Amino acid sequence: MSVFRRFFVAALSLLVTLAALPVSAQDAQAPIQRLLQEHGEIIAKSSRRTIGPAIDALAASGLDEAQTVLERWREKEMWQNKDTGLFVYAEEIDRRTIRTFDFATSEALGEFEDKAYKQLKPNSGIRGLISAALVRFQLTDPNPQARTAALNAIERDADETHLAALRAVVDAESDANIAQRMKRLERLLTIRFAEEDAERIAAIQSFEGDLGVDVRAALNPLVVTRLDVDSVLPNDADVVRQIEPGTDALDVDSAYALLVSKDLAVERISRDAQKAALIANIDGGSVGGIQLASLNTEAGRDLAYTALVQQGAVEPAATDAEVRETLENFAFFERYSAVSPEVALAAQAVLKGIENKVAVNQTIDLGLDALSLASIYFLAAIGLAITFGVMGVINMAHGEFIMMGAYTGYVVQLFVPDYTLSILLAIPLAFMVTFGAGVAMERLVIRWLYHRPLETLLATFGISIALQQLAKNIFGTQARPLTAPGWLDGSLVFNDIVSISYIRIAIFVLALLFLALFLIVMNRTRLGLEVRAVTQNPRMAASMGINPDRINMLTFGFGSGIAGIAGVAIGLYAKVTSEMGSDYIVQSFMTVVVGGVGNIWGTLLGATMVGTLQKGIEWLNPSNTLAAQTYMILFIILFIQFRPKGIIALKGRAAEA
Amino acid sequence: MTDATLAPARQPIVRRYPVLLVFLGCLALFTLGVTILSEGFGIGIISTSFVKTLGKTLCLCLVALAMDLVWGYCGILSLGHMAFFGIGGYAIGMWLMYARTEIIVVQSLSAAPLPPTAQEISDGIATQIFGVVGASEFPPIWAVAHSLPLQLAAVVLVPGLLALVFGWLAFRSRVTGVYLSILTQAMTLALALYLFQNDSGLRGNNGLSGLQNLPGLGHVPQSTISIWFFWASALALGLGYILCTWVVSGKFGSVIRAIRDDESRVRFLGYPVEAYKLFVFTLTAVIAAIAGALYYPQAGIINPAEIAPIASIYLAVWVAIGGRGRLYGAVIGAAFVSLLSTYFTGGQAPDINLGFYTIQWVNWWTVLLGLSFVVVTLFAPKGLGGLFDLIAARTAPDRHGADLGPDVGALREKEAEK
Amino acid sequence: MFGIPNATPCATRKGTQMSKRLLTTTAALAVMAALPAAAQDCPIKVGVLHSLSGTMAISETTLKDTMEMLVEQQNEAGGVLGCQLEAVVVDPASDWPLFAEKARELLTVHEVDVIFGNWTSVSRKSVLPVIEELNGLLFYPVQYEGEESSKNVFYTGAAPNQQAIPATDYFLEELEVEKFALLGTDYVYPRTTNNILESYLKDKGIPAEDIFVNYTPFGHSDWSKIVADVVALGADGKKVGVISTINGDANVGFYKELAAAGISADDIPVVAFSVGEEELAGLDTSNLVGHLAAWNYFQSADSEANEAWVEAWKARMGEERVTNDPMEAHYIGFNMWVNAATAAGTTDVDAVRTAMYGQEFPNLTGGTAVMLPNHHLAKPVLIGEIQEDGQFDIISQTEEVPGDAWTDFLPESAVLVSDWKELGCGMYNTETSTCVQIKSNY
Repeated sequence: MSVFRRFFVAALSLLVTLAALPVSAQDAQAPIQRLLQEHGEIIAKSSRRTIGPAIDALAASGLDEAQTVLERWREKEMWQNKDTGLFVYAEEIDRRTIRTFDFATSEALGEFEDKAYKQLKPNSGIRGLISAALVRFQLTDPNPQARTAALNAIERDADETHLAALRAVVDAESDANIAQRMKRLERLLTIRFAEEDAERIAAIQSFEGDLGVDVRAALNPLVVTRLDVDSVLPNDADVVRQIEPGTDALDVDSAYALLVSKDLAVERISRDAQKAALIANIDGGSVGGIQLASLNTEAGRDLAYTALVQQGAVEPAATDAEVRETLENFAFFERYSAVSPEVALAAQAVLKGIENKVAVNQTIDLGLDALSLASIYFLAAIGLAITFGVMGVINMAHGEFIMMGAYTGYVVQLFVPDYTLSILLAIPLAFMVTFGAGVAMERLVIRWLYHRPLETLLATFGISIALQQLAKNIFGTQARPLTAPGWLDGSLVFNDIVSISYIRIAIFVLALLFLALFLIVMNRTRLGLEVRAVTQNPRMAASMGINPDRINMLTFGFGSGIAGIAGVAIGLYAKVTSEMGSDYIVQSFMTVVVGGVGNIWGTLLGATMVGTLQKGIEWLNPSNTLAAQTYMILFIILFIQFRPKGIIALKGRAAEA
Repeated sequence: MTDATLAPARQPIVRRYPVLLVFLGCLALFTLGVTILSEGFGIGIISTSFVKTLGKTLCLCLVALAMDLVWGYCGILSLGHMAFFGIGGYAIGMWLMYARTEIIVVQSLSAAPLPPTAQEISDGIATQIFGVVGASEFPPIWAVAHSLPLQLAAVVLVPGLLALVFGWLAFRSRVTGVYLSILTQAMTLALALYLFQNDSGLRGNNGLSGLQNLPGLGHVPQSTISIWFFWASALALGLGYILCTWVVSGKFGSVIRAIRDDESRVRFLGYPVEAYKLFVFTLTAVIAAIAGALYYPQAGIINPAEIAPIASIYLAVWVAIGGRGRLYGAVIGAAFVSLLSTYFTGGQAPDINLGFYTIQWVNWWTVLLGLSFVVVTLFAPKGLGGLFDLIAARTAPDRHGADLGPDVGALREKEAEK
Repeated sequence: MFGIPNATPCATRKGTQMSKRLLTTTAALAVMAALPAAAQDCPIKVGVLHSLSGTMAISETTLKDTMEMLVEQQNEAGGVLGCQLEAVVVDPASDWPLFAEKARELLTVHEVDVIFGNWTSVSRKSVLPVIEELNGLLFYPVQYEGEESSKNVFYTGAAPNQQAIPATDYFLEELEVEKFALLGTDYVYPRTTNNILESYLKDKGIPAEDIFVNYTPFGHSDWSKIVADVVALGADGKKVGVISTINGDANVGFYKELAAAGISADDIPVVAFSVGEEELAGLDTSNLVGHLAAWNYFQSADSEANEAWVEAWKARMGEERVTNDPMEAHYIGFNMWVNAATAAGTTDVDAVRTAMYGQEFPNLTGGTAVMLPNHHLAKPVLIGEIQEDGQFDIISQTEEVPGDAWTDFLPESAVLVSDWKELGCGMYNTETSTCVQIKSNY
């Protein structure tokens, strides 16, 4: 039986060998393959912690193919044969088949099922290491893109070998931009890796006032400190400052723990440890002669513990008073721990200058953010400034008009794949759709309720609920993509701190355009004149030959149409969901009310105030954005108490209307 | 109070408002019927979950009564009364959670070798309650959670004070009409956002849960507890109805209706309009809070989503559909719409197959509700309650005069007869 | 949508009766010993408690469809215990109190034998008291914050140590991240998870000032300041990584702002715990390539079982539909329940519960999921990189990690264990050797 089995196994393995014949065309003894096999295990394991030797060996091998291996590997194109363990690179033909190539010869080996191979997927940590290893090949590459890639890799994962490599090529660089980056990078690497203090200090000082995050990233590690303690404050150069225990910088517990760790004081006992000690010493119904029943207070337990100490059953522990006394006998201080004091002091001086500048720039950035938020609120509210501010109609479905505009944009993008064209199409279409919806709503519902504002509010709420659910039924509840054209991607970067995305700039510009449009329509056109006339005194206007019904309809449509365009803009920067309108409706009303009803400048001021306020509160409490919204609404409630007519209150006849 | 010459006003309230007796009778019959049919005390035709639904509906009717008083009678469209409802629920919920957890913790610590200190018990309770939101200390807001009387006082006092302060600020600066509505809505939104934060100390988005388990009554089945709460809710609704009827009757009722119809004229007549409005606003806030305190132990969980502005809007919807300006209208509206909502969103309503499209009620009910709201506002401002007028009109001779004021939709004529 | 489950029982009841008669006549002798005295009531009812309307509908409707598909597949394979299964679908409408009401209705009115349902933690907490009071059985399929173990719930989603901790380890070890931004939506899952992570990171030697925590409301859209704050974290020369527990829609704005700020995954990697295939459908992912997500399952998992699963799903629901992690959790949970019920010979809750412990079932990513006595699964943890097509490229897959009900990284929880098999307690204090409570804390 066993003979048969052995024969069978031998025959089978022969078959396998035959089947695997095409693979054996690959030269397992080629130097690059041997190198890979040597590190085969850690390459297959693919962990950043262990991969180092393999990458180093490849980079240092001097083999021409090493660069190919590293590049293919980084691009997840390296595969390992599950049977032979040999490495190849491959391209995928379809989901199940791959075409493999030999590293040594770059020749195609044939097409195989991908089940026989394991794809090596280096994670981004390993890819970073590979890129860093590729630097030496790429820095001298004639292709400027490769050199830029090398610089990117150095910026991400620099090591000390890069300094020498950079210095070797920096003077020969022909491309001015790359040369500039190289020089900057060389100075940064000098700060991090140079041996000589003088060299490092010179490099540090060359960055005076530079706002780059990379500069601060290089300098900050130089000025790290560690806490130390001594009986008196030593007069060393590297002592930064003295710290009093019991302040924010150092609490009593950690100060005392430091003393204990240096064997300068006896340990304190925690409540839990005390409890454990007491439990360990339970003797019948009492501990240290004190009844168990009376151990239900902390005082009782302290008493029992003291009794135990007196009996010698447990170690004495420091009391709070002793802790305070001990701490007074020592001086706590911080000292530089990373580099020599000279370098640290130089870095500290430069950092101080930079940080002042950073603070100024952060304020500017916050200001930009606030301005951007204000423009978004303004955009959301401007339609309301017309329907509510001018006409006095409470339209709770205003938010749903914003949503309709955004969904119009989404639908247009379904049919027009070009993003620029689709947005250009979406804006007028969104206006038309929401203009139509607005007119329909005015004709069917609102005009019957002009004398009953509270009922308008409720009826439009009904419409709002219905529209929201309708959108859910049609488009689903998941957010839909509304993608900005490519030229709106990215940000306008002033420096590493102050930047603002182009899409926000576009919204800001749009808000200004709308403001201008509103002013022109209201003050310079016949329609505007008639609108103002109808709002102030509809009967008088009617007797002058103006048709108030028509004007009301058009005004409401105009306000709704603008909301639709705002929807496209808001959808571009945030999200398109059926509930996006309700996110803005209360804020929009607040904006109009705070600013003062009936005045577009008031709305502008209101939006600015709301936006700035929200960003300001966010800055004060950065870890909780929700709190910012809560406090902002509270503030607005209070504000309206004291200025019920808003920032800019209408006076005279307009106010009576 | 009133001049003796206006003697009819001195008649007992039941005589002047026969509806009151009819209502109380119906409520008593209903309560009795449900009890007999229930699982806990009767023959078990009505499931416990439906008893809970009915009990909750009674609480909703009570808060709708409050809404009718403040909106239908006093003309203040408050879009924030569900906030008071929620605060009431939170106040009672804190005690329920604390007391229930305390029993568990004391029991578990009693097995330990050392008797627990007060601090250990408190820490244990805090860890149990707040462990779920990643904290283990009691926020100051829970200071009196251990005491049922104090928390019961909080049910009334916290919403009452909030309403008093908010109302005082709003009314004294003459914020009226839609501005007031938006302001109350902002108040609800701010409160909901605040409660959504975990830092608020009320377990953030999770809210307070397990409220249906009464501390110390673990052995009593829910079928019994649900009936207890049903009775309590019915009692509260009955008392609330009597209170509201009493408030709207007599001179006080006339003044607040006058404020609704023309605030300036009432003010020029020398009435302290702000004080009247403030009283009604605060009173209704307290009624709402009591309704909430009864509602949430039946619902089992309260969280900030319950306070979201939309809840208060639905409250207005109920009252409008039921017919504002008449107390039984609010009750009918709340019961009708909320039970109908439960039916349609529950997935039990059969789908309607149109051939090319199947209407699923879970998706279309909200659309229908929204649109029906528009229709009611436009065509039936008297709401469902108006149907009773039709019946009344058949028996009573037509003595209609002209409309009594500028507001076409108001219902003053009927009231003027009183 | 409801047509299918309502139609099946009528059609199948006759079939089941016939098969029952067959059983009694021909196979009675063989089966008698295995079957308990009381024959199973047919059909066996399976409650499905997922929101079909409201904010959670988008996520939960998928799971309802999954359950209907699983029930149908099981019926085609002959049902359970000789009975056909009937899915009883109710809609709690994303309303948390309604979850409790509907759970009571399922257990008392429809008398279901098991419930598959819930998505959010708050809905689970709402249902817990009801399930425990009426001794129901719930399979909960979503990753959650842990710190809970109910006798009546099987948690088939990931506990923090099956998702958050391995992902953080990946950040620490593979990407050498030294500074962490924990961004989350302000609710219980991010709060607890971030709490655990903070404590874990401190254990790993990350100082408190290198951990930045921020909470934003649901559906937050204005991310510019927060993204700028995260970039500024890099100023002290440490590698920054973002651990995101941002939920739902808010992710759209967040990723858009990340892309606009030009932050690549190589500079500041983001690992998300709530972003799966479904969520990416609402985004243009070309700017997000390389950012990470950690789950127990990705659609791109390379196994034959998964291929069949994805194929069946697409055939039923449409080519553009994707599969995700909670679906796999239901797949495992449902099959384990079927096997446990078969092993116990009844659908009685206590018998099935006992039979569940140690149940094994092959998961879709290869390997085997095991049900532990603490009602959690042992499952592998996968980390995937976002690709241009909205799918994930799996770059790391661990061995099976046993789910831990009580985290080891918070002092109050470290002393607690859950063991329903031996100790009969879900909250057992190992220090005092006492059971803190039998019911769970809600």
